[in-house]
Amino acid sequence: MPKKHLPFESVSRRDLLKLGLGAGVVGPLALSSRGAKAVNTQAHIVIVGAGAGGLSMANRLTNSLQGAKITIIDTREKHYYQPGWTLVASGVWNQDKTVTDIVDWLPKSVNWVKGHVAEYDPDNNRVLLEDGQAVSYDQLIVASGLQLRYDLIQGMDVDLIGQGKGVGSVYASMDASAKTNEEIKRWISKGGGTGLFNLPPTALKCAGAPIKMTFTTLHRLEDTGRREQFNVEFMTPSGGLFSVPFYNDFIKQRFSEQGVTRNDLWTLKAIDADAKKATYSVKGGEDQVKDYDFIHVVPPMTAGAALENSPLAFQPNENFKGWMKVDRETLQNPDYFNVWGIGDVMGMPSNKTAASVKMQAKVLEENFLASLQGKPLTAKHNGYTSCPMITAIGKAMLVEFGWDSKLLPSFSFIDPKKESWTVWVMKERMLRPAYYAMLEGKI
Amino acid sequence: MTFSGILTVVWYSALPWLWLISVMLVAFLVPQLLARMKSYSFTSKGGMGSKYIPPLVVLLAFFLVPLQTQSSLAYVNTWVDWMNLIGVSIGLGFYAWLVFHPICFMRNSK
Ligand SMILES: Cc1cc2nc3c(=O)[nH]c(=O)nc-3n(C[C@H](O)[C@H](O)[C@H](O)COP(=O)(O)OP(=O)(O)OC[C@H]3O[C@@H](n4cnc5c(N)ncnc54)[C@H](O)[C@@H]3O)c2cc1C
Repeated sequence: MPKKHLPFESVSRRDLLKLGLGAGVVGPLALSSRGAKAVNTQAHIVIVGAGAGGLSMANRLTNSLQGAKITIIDTREKHYYQPGWTLVASGVWNQDKTVTDIVDWLPKSVNWVKGHVAEYDPDNNRVLLEDGQAVSYDQLIVASGLQLRYDLIQGMDVDLIGQGKGVGSVYASMDASAKTNEEIKRWISKGGGTGLFNLPPTALKCAGAPIKMTFTTLHRLEDTGRREQFNVEFMTPSGGLFSVPFYNDFIKQRFSEQGVTRNDLWTLKAIDADAKKATYSVKGGEDQVKDYDFIHVVPPMTAGAALENSPLAFQPNENFKGWMKVDRETLQNPDYFNVWGIGDVMGMPSNKTAASVKMQAKVLEENFLASLQGKPLTAKHNGYTSCPMITAIGKAMLVEFGWDSKLLPSFSFIDPKKESWTVWVMKERMLRPAYYAMLEGKI
Repeated sequence: MTFSGILTVVWYSALPWLWLISVMLVAFLVPQLLARMKSYSFTSKGGMGSKYIPPLVVLLAFFLVPLQTQSSLAYVNTWVDWMNLIGVSIGLGFYAWLVFHPICFMRNSK
């Protein structure tokens, strides 16, 4: 059962300031003073996207620049703590814990344009919005995340989630993750049947989330005492479960111990929600149709049409085709030196996590300031990404790695290869605070 | 991590628990202040309550703290887990002593 709401749980930073709660305590959080070593510039900086990357950069640059004009472009009014959605869909968190107002995270001096970028025109240093407005820039930071392409699965519509048809997806939205929890509950209360869990054929954000959803659901099924009544299957388009070999083997082993049937090289192609049937294309074989009682849909993910069709994207003959082209270490676009990237939109291995954004923001700020001052770009992103791999409701492994799947543990005393209660507590209690500190540009 | 970064994380972590921290602070301060007006000190003689309740709290915390985090004792696995659980349980036991010791002292001195 999701926990009841605690007082102060969803109080915004703005409300707390209004309450005037201990200025001494709130002070360091609220009133960010411009850094002592602020760089002077008259540049107009445009940030596309007010998500994890965009807000972090807006806060960091507000502190480190003097005289700059910063504009952020996004239509959304709400900011979502997406890493919390796995806990919502697993029945651990109430969904309200994952939403705040964007305005609460934006420095007052930042100009917020409520629009959606439809076209990038880097040759003329401008972006065009859907309403036809053109916004010019001196420096551009692309932080537009990624697009969930449910439309590429025939018959799939996010509105199906939570309609009692057994369709769930933790990725779709905050509401959808709560409805996914309802669908899982409904399936469990039926007392048996088949659950299909999927991976997409593309890069995905938080590559561990589909696996976490499988593990937490297995936990709930085992809790019924009638696990054998439920058939759980996991489909992988590539045959792999996770990019780091140790965790890939660990998950495979765990799946076989917990009675999960794996169908490798299967890609979800279509669903018939009324008939509860899913069609899979199978590499080297014929399409297969599976009946289900619950299906966890993970859609293909892309960088979004505006970016894909622009000169800022990797070209069809390159790796990471369609994703934003950046030097993976400096985060600068190699063709347009006044264009930078952060977050899920970029084409690079793994790195589609908030944990990566946290590391990228530091590197990007340093290189951005260096570039404004005509200095060489010396900060280098090491590919850091992290995902607390929940292996049951109540335990997790702290998975942290960089380029070439090299493990990069942050805490020498936490064994990255062991399941642990402490790591679960970190995921459940500490990561949201750390994420908020990241949005404020403090870590 | 910068000092202001650490403060920010600590602040957001404490935010949902401000009410509990306030209640615990009051429950600690009131008996301490009242007892100290009657010349209480940590070395004063306590009573049954301060003798038996703190170990009971340690014992209960051992089982209840994992449950409170939506986990269970069965998942306390690594040495770091055990150190954390033992540390938190002993801390809560010590807190119980800080509350009950002055209360028992005041009962004794009635
Ligand atoms: C279910 C789930 C679980 C996750 N678990 C974890 C986890 O455990 N650990 C972890 O580190 N990460 C996790 N993540 C990933 C993490 O949330 C993302 O990697 C992170 O939010 C990426 O930040 P971003 O700024 O690139 O994109 P986002 O935070 O998604 O923000 C992108 C913003 O850009 C805006 N935008 C998009 N297109 C345009 C446009 N054309 N014009 C203007 N604005 C636009 C959007 O409205 C949005 O506000 C999870 C994500 C999900 C969905």
